[in-house]
Amino acid sequence: MPTEFHRRIHTALADSQLQAALDGNAERRLQALTQAFASIPEGRAALRQRAHAMRADVIANLESYLAEFIAHATENGLLVHRAADAAEALSIVSQIAHESGARLIAKSKTMVGEEIRLNEHLEAQGLKVVETDLGEYIVQLRGEPPAHIITPAVHLTRSQVGRTFEEKLGLPFTTDIPTLTAAARRVLRQTFLEADIGVSGVNAGVAESGTLCLVTNEGNGRMCTTLPDIHIALMGLERLVPTFDDLALLLALLPRSATGQKLSVYTSLINAPRRPGESDGPSQRHLIVIDNGRLALRRSALAEALYCIRCGACLNVCPVFREIGGHAYISPQGQMTPYPGPIGSVISPGLFGVASFGNLARASSLCGACTEACPVEIDLPKLLLRIRAADADPATLGLPPAAEPSTHSHVPSALRLGLSLFSWAAARPRLFALAQRIAGLFSRLVPAPAGWMRLPAFTGWGLARDFPRPAARPFSASLLAASLASKSGAETHAATRPGSRQTSHAAPDPQASLDPTPPLTLTPPERIERFAAELTALGGQAVRCQTQDLAGCILHTLKAQEIASLYAWEAAYLPQGLLEALKAAGIQVTHQPDPQAKVGLTGALAGIAETGTLVISSVPGRPLTASLLPETHLAILRSQDILDRLGQALALPQVRQAAASVLISGPSRTADIEMTLTIGVHGPKTLLVFILEA
Amino acid sequence: MADTVQLFITCLLDTLYPPIGEAVVEVLQRLGVKLEFPTGQTCCGQPAFNAGLRQQARPVAQHTIQVFEKTRGPVVIPSGSCVGMIRHGYLELFAEDPLWYERACALAERTFEFSEFLVDYLGVTDLDARWPGKLTYHSSCHLLRELGIDRQPRQLLQAVQGAEFVELPYAGDCCGFGGVFSAEHPALSSAMLARKLENIRLSGAPTVVVCDAGCLTNIQGGLRRNGMTQQVVHIAQVLSDRKSVARTA
Repeated sequence: MPTEFHRRIHTALADSQLQAALDGNAERRLQALTQAFASIPEGRAALRQRAHAMRADVIANLESYLAEFIAHATENGLLVHRAADAAEALSIVSQIAHESGARLIAKSKTMVGEEIRLNEHLEAQGLKVVETDLGEYIVQLRGEPPAHIITPAVHLTRSQVGRTFEEKLGLPFTTDIPTLTAAARRVLRQTFLEADIGVSGVNAGVAESGTLCLVTNEGNGRMCTTLPDIHIALMGLERLVPTFDDLALLLALLPRSATGQKLSVYTSLINAPRRPGESDGPSQRHLIVIDNGRLALRRSALAEALYCIRCGACLNVCPVFREIGGHAYISPQGQMTPYPGPIGSVISPGLFGVASFGNLARASSLCGACTEACPVEIDLPKLLLRIRAADADPATLGLPPAAEPSTHSHVPSALRLGLSLFSWAAARPRLFALAQRIAGLFSRLVPAPAGWMRLPAFTGWGLARDFPRPAARPFSASLLAASLASKSGAETHAATRPGSRQTSHAAPDPQASLDPTPPLTLTPPERIERFAAELTALGGQAVRCQTQDLAGCILHTLKAQEIASLYAWEAAYLPQGLLEALKAAGIQVTHQPDPQAKVGLTGALAGIAETGTLVISSVPGRPLTASLLPETHLAILRSQDILDRLGQALALPQVRQAAASVLISGPSRTADIEMTLTIGVHGPKTLLVFILEA
Repeated sequence: MADTVQLFITCLLDTLYPPIGEAVVEVLQRLGVKLEFPTGQTCCGQPAFNAGLRQQARPVAQHTIQVFEKTRGPVVIPSGSCVGMIRHGYLELFAEDPLWYERACALAERTFEFSEFLVDYLGVTDLDARWPGKLTYHSSCHLLRELGIDRQPRQLLQAVQGAEFVELPYAGDCCGFGGVFSAEHPALSSAMLARKLENIRLSGAPTVVVCDAGCLTNIQGGLRRNGMTQQVVHIAQVLSDRKSVARTA
């Protein structure tokens, strides 16, 4: 009997716009993934093995890592809450909102927020919640759930987005993606400035320091965690890495697997709320650590699903996802899950019950493309098979209590009967041989041109395929087979496959460098060259100049854009005499967060050559918003501060101590509409780095 | 070749494609292999296992283990997903049964896929085979990703005289078979198959080589239903002297 799930599949297959959008996604993501990993000569395989081992360790020792993480986060001044389930998490958010008298909430993308249905809950209480990730904003305007865990509007074409903006925002219809993006920037900028609370997810929590790491491209994540006076971070309790070295490993894999980038544009590292003397950052940071079935999942045969780092790569390579998209992943009764695709087909039944979502695990050909793409090598076909087993016979596997009791199996009864009979016969060779002969005889009654029978569509197989007529005499009944019949008795066998019985995940080589990216050792001039080349490739600009020429260079840039004011760091943190020289040339300078400022001027703690990244940490007099609010960000980087690799930047004491830091890799960007790269969503559209020669 | 080698023909090849079994035997015997065909062999148990019916799959797996325990030497299987079932599925099936787990491991360790056996065990890549015209190769999911077998069949095909090997676009994409998946989700399975058929057309090859009976049945069934004239053949048929490619039902 067709269920709501089957109905969605058929609707999706017949939707040509959806098919075009999904094809585009699959092709572009595959290409990006291939290119992204070409930049890691160490090889993806070795990195994946180490990441798998790292995540396995976290999940095996989750309680102790969690305790360590929470202790450090609390010391750092975060207000840490633990929520056992969705209801508890929602009531904690409500209480914070209620106590602060909040009305408007700006939300950055969070999958656990989708999981607990945060928007619905807050809206029911009369609060206004605005999604600020471009893709999430589009689906929120349309009243839809996200269709992908990292590309929420993956199912839409540009013209559908144009229509939505026309209907909901009253904009003239357009299919021009930069115009659509600019419209969203205008509307959402107001939200960021007015919001009382910013809600975000967390990509990883660092246990050794209590640091929250968030990766975003558009800049909305930075806005939500920097501008509103209260920040609430929602985090699934498994989302931990033990150390900063492990974070470097995770960051080498996550953006590459998710979007094909070496690093996302903004990697935020958050330790604490605003400190005395700082001019930006929220005065309260809450962290809600959410279980909602995860600890039960950890005790089950599906614990490996918790290794997931939510990159979405398995969705992008999945042939089933490519046919049906995210919205078709629902229970037979039509219950939604925020987690589609291969990993969603494991964690949806794992967290919300096999009885509800066991059907998803059956909609897979077990082709293994997901596991091949997974940056942490989760054996997804194995987990899908375990769900099928638990669904067919709940007693056989230690599945989470949430999954039981299963009163209804998703195994079609005809299939169960047929396979039970087949298997019963297959354990009885004479009966099996007889059944083969009967099949051979009876199929002679069906016409079979050239040996192929045309079965009717209701058989499933016959929908689009012919079936070969069983042989009148199976191979096993042939004279040839009889002539080969074994005569040997029970003897020990010698032949074994070389390399068999090896464990698939070898322990990481203790000699290997802890830094996941290759041991890049560049000479100082090479370092500058590499930094400039990487930054340029990201759409940023690098200008090399001498200290004495810096003011002139900056004035030249400002004059070219006819700009007479700056939002800048305080003079003490910029090269000596620079601000005086600019002021003397008639430029107005402010040090307070100014939403109207067109240009922000900052220094930088460090640069990272391998990714063209700027490292900036918040300190009084060095506001983070100067690198975020203005359309143009001018940064001054001393060439001696350029490091080779990401791991070195994460090891800087300032990064570990500041209330918040950000790694900036190029201007703000999005690819949320038709995977088309568009520069300048919420953050700066122009990033210009002046590299001061030593 | 002193070793005795056991042939596990698998249920699909046994029931649907006896000529492929003949080709497998011909190739192995030509290489001097002392081949035996243990009687009483049926199915590896994969259909029920993949459907989640582990209770039903276990006796079938135990039967297969018992049949081959009575024999010695490598077990050669000319169908990739059945090899995957024995090497990985059995270990999962008997994970909580130490005695059967040991017996399953013992079978897994002596199990080889046909092309893997030729190239990695026997060290043969050139079988002096001839095939006129273009050949392309579909990398079956379980071979390619579960077992890591792709180089072996390609090496064997590269050595075929007279054949022009052309790459199948997206050769490693699933054909949509997936065992019970094709019965439970025929529309989805067919949509995936349609992409495979289109890529076969684009390859320009009249012959698609596979090492798996499931993919063979699915792809050939789709080609026939769509009136396409391309043929799917098992690699043993290409390597064999007996080129009885057309099915003899």
